[in-house]
Amino acid sequence: MSDVPFRNPGWAGNTGEFDLSEADVRGTAYAGERPLDGGHPSTSASYPFMLVARNPGAPLFEGPYQERFEKIRGRYPTARAALLPALNLAQEVRGHVSPETMDEVAALLGLSSAYVRGVATFYTMYNKRPVGRFLIQVCTNISCNLCGADEVLAAFLKHTDTELGDTSADGNFTVVEAECLAACGFPTCVQINERYFEDVAAGDVPDILRRLTDELKGD
Amino acid sequence: MADSSRRADTVTLTIDGHEVNVPKGTSLLHAAETLGIEVPHYCYHPGLSAPAQCRICLVEVEGAPKLQPSCVTMAQDGQVVHTESPSAKRMRQGVLEFYLVNHPLDCPICDMSGECKLQDYVFDEGREQGRAREPKRVFGRDDFGGDVLYYGDRCVMCTRCVRFMDEVAHDARLTVVERGDRAVIDTFFESGLDDASFAGNVVDICPVGALVSKDFLHKARAWDLDHTPSICPNCSQGCNIDLHARDNLVQRLKPRENQEVNGHWMCDYGRANYEWINRAGRIESPGVGRSGKRRAADWQTALGALLDRLRESEGAGVRIVGSPLASNEALGTLHRLGRAVGTVTESVFRCRRTEDEDPLPGFPLLVRRRDLAPNVDGAGILGFERAGSDDATGGLGAAASHDGILVVLGDQLGDQPEDFGADASLYVYLGTFDSPAARNADFVLPVTTFAEEDGTFVNAQGRVQRFEQGLQAPGSARPAWLVLGALLAALEGGNPPGSAADAFAALAAEYAAFAGLSHDAIGTAGAVPEPAHA
Repeated sequence: MSDVPFRNPGWAGNTGEFDLSEADVRGTAYAGERPLDGGHPSTSASYPFMLVARNPGAPLFEGPYQERFEKIRGRYPTARAALLPALNLAQEVRGHVSPETMDEVAALLGLSSAYVRGVATFYTMYNKRPVGRFLIQVCTNISCNLCGADEVLAAFLKHTDTELGDTSADGNFTVVEAECLAACGFPTCVQINERYFEDVAAGDVPDILRRLTDELKGD
Repeated sequence: MADSSRRADTVTLTIDGHEVNVPKGTSLLHAAETLGIEVPHYCYHPGLSAPAQCRICLVEVEGAPKLQPSCVTMAQDGQVVHTESPSAKRMRQGVLEFYLVNHPLDCPICDMSGECKLQDYVFDEGREQGRAREPKRVFGRDDFGGDVLYYGDRCVMCTRCVRFMDEVAHDARLTVVERGDRAVIDTFFESGLDDASFAGNVVDICPVGALVSKDFLHKARAWDLDHTPSICPNCSQGCNIDLHARDNLVQRLKPRENQEVNGHWMCDYGRANYEWINRAGRIESPGVGRSGKRRAADWQTALGALLDRLRESEGAGVRIVGSPLASNEALGTLHRLGRAVGTVTESVFRCRRTEDEDPLPGFPLLVRRRDLAPNVDGAGILGFERAGSDDATGGLGAAASHDGILVVLGDQLGDQPEDFGADASLYVYLGTFDSPAARNADFVLPVTTFAEEDGTFVNAQGRVQRFEQGLQAPGSARPAWLVLGALLAALEGGNPPGSAADAFAALAAEYAAFAGLSHDAIGTAGAVPEPAHA
């Protein structure tokens, strides 16, 4: 942590203390303590959060992830229906959905590889390329755009020294544009991995990046 | 209703003021078609499922709150439908304007120009000026492998190709990649369509110039092509096709719908193999005399001399080598001539065969057959037997050294030695190309290919199918049935056949398998002979 207290750019409903974790917001039972095998089948398909530690070479699917995949498969009537959560799971394990991953998921579900590619490319929340430890999604849709989202995006790109969609040299940051993040009351909204940063102005960007870097050091 | 005899399995509705009675479960689009009203459509294709996603077939149905997609809306009793109402026309104009937002309008260099549905519809009903001022997005083109080239900018995202590969070829290799205005059709990265044996059909069903044939690329304009209904000569399935010819050369083969044989489809093997029809260097005039002594003659001289020789050798043993590429009319008349002259001791044909068949899973009637020639079954009916090996060589030993009358029709004898037929008392070669084995022939008579004559084939289903003349014959080549029929008439008396239909009528009178059939009865859809009465 840096010496200067991190100024909260404004979490919705937060009165000043920034240090709310995912667990504080959602409760540990939902996210923090979520077993890797997905727990009860009814929740096994939902997307818990982006893992900072990912292994692009990890096998699909092994151990608890295998159990979770089977729960997902059993929850849906057809292989097509199970495709989205299966891709979610693959991305959770590997960090992104590569052509090889699409092929493997297709084989696991008995779908054609081309069909899986079509689905994976339709949805922007599947990363088709490897992303940094922090995936910074800046909303540039109407509300945010009116309140300076373009400057915020430019500031992220400048301070991480990357191009849109590329990953910084240290492997920490990938900056992408997002369509509406459903936080139009708090523009500009930025989603970094599973966390929302709201009311972000271009001037807040160095602080946010410093904080993220500090978190990595703390690990 | 006054019409009490109306059956319960049909419905009566009104389309654009015309009443029409159609079977239950008919779509509005089909019902309109029966009245001769074409409702514009892209995503709908009669051989595929209808996702109703192109939004251009919307029509007004009285009582419905919104316009209805006519491809999936089923006709109901008493429905009143307007395809040309102001709201329907305004909607089509709007949809077409959206289709043109990113369309490159490169019709002058597009292969589809002239048969393009986007071109047609915009010409009919589109706005004079689009209102989009933004630059168009550009994809360029993508080689899918096989014979298929994809121009992403021209695509209207009807997904007919995706559904064909999934539903008919059962090989879902194509998909829509990305979304919105970035959406393109693609395969799984580099996998392509290379080894997909029915992928060429996606070019046929593409309503615009997005999927084009690499073979046909920039070869001819659609409006310069003559279309002739024909039969694919490349296997014994006998897919119904159209020959598309320009400058007396076949430019491409396109499937012609026949739900009993090939549906809307044909295989890539058949589609790709047409260059042999255009091969130059044909025998163009009759030749008389063996090897070095051969001289050109006109038909009258050649046939007169041949007739004399046939009369001299009456009663001799006759061996016939036919070809499964020849029509029933040619093979049948040949066999009749053989029997009129002497005793037919052998009549054979040779045919290339492959190891395996190649079926189209989603349309099981269509199979690329093992026999790679169109009239194997016709030859069988007409008394010819298969000889030689699966690559159409060998098997002619007895014919090669035959000392009676030897007649070869259509077989090029490419594998046979120079002394083929040297011992024959009379050797007649009716063919398209000269070869060393033809040099001993006493008479070399140029005949036409299937593309240059009318006639019939019998396919592997036993279906008799007609093809029509699409090309002019080179030089003085004549249909074999005409040549042989003239000889037969001179020997036996009677009139020579004036047309292929006459030649077929003579066969129908003689062969039980063709009894009751005629060219008229066969029509464009073909006919299966009635089982012979005992």
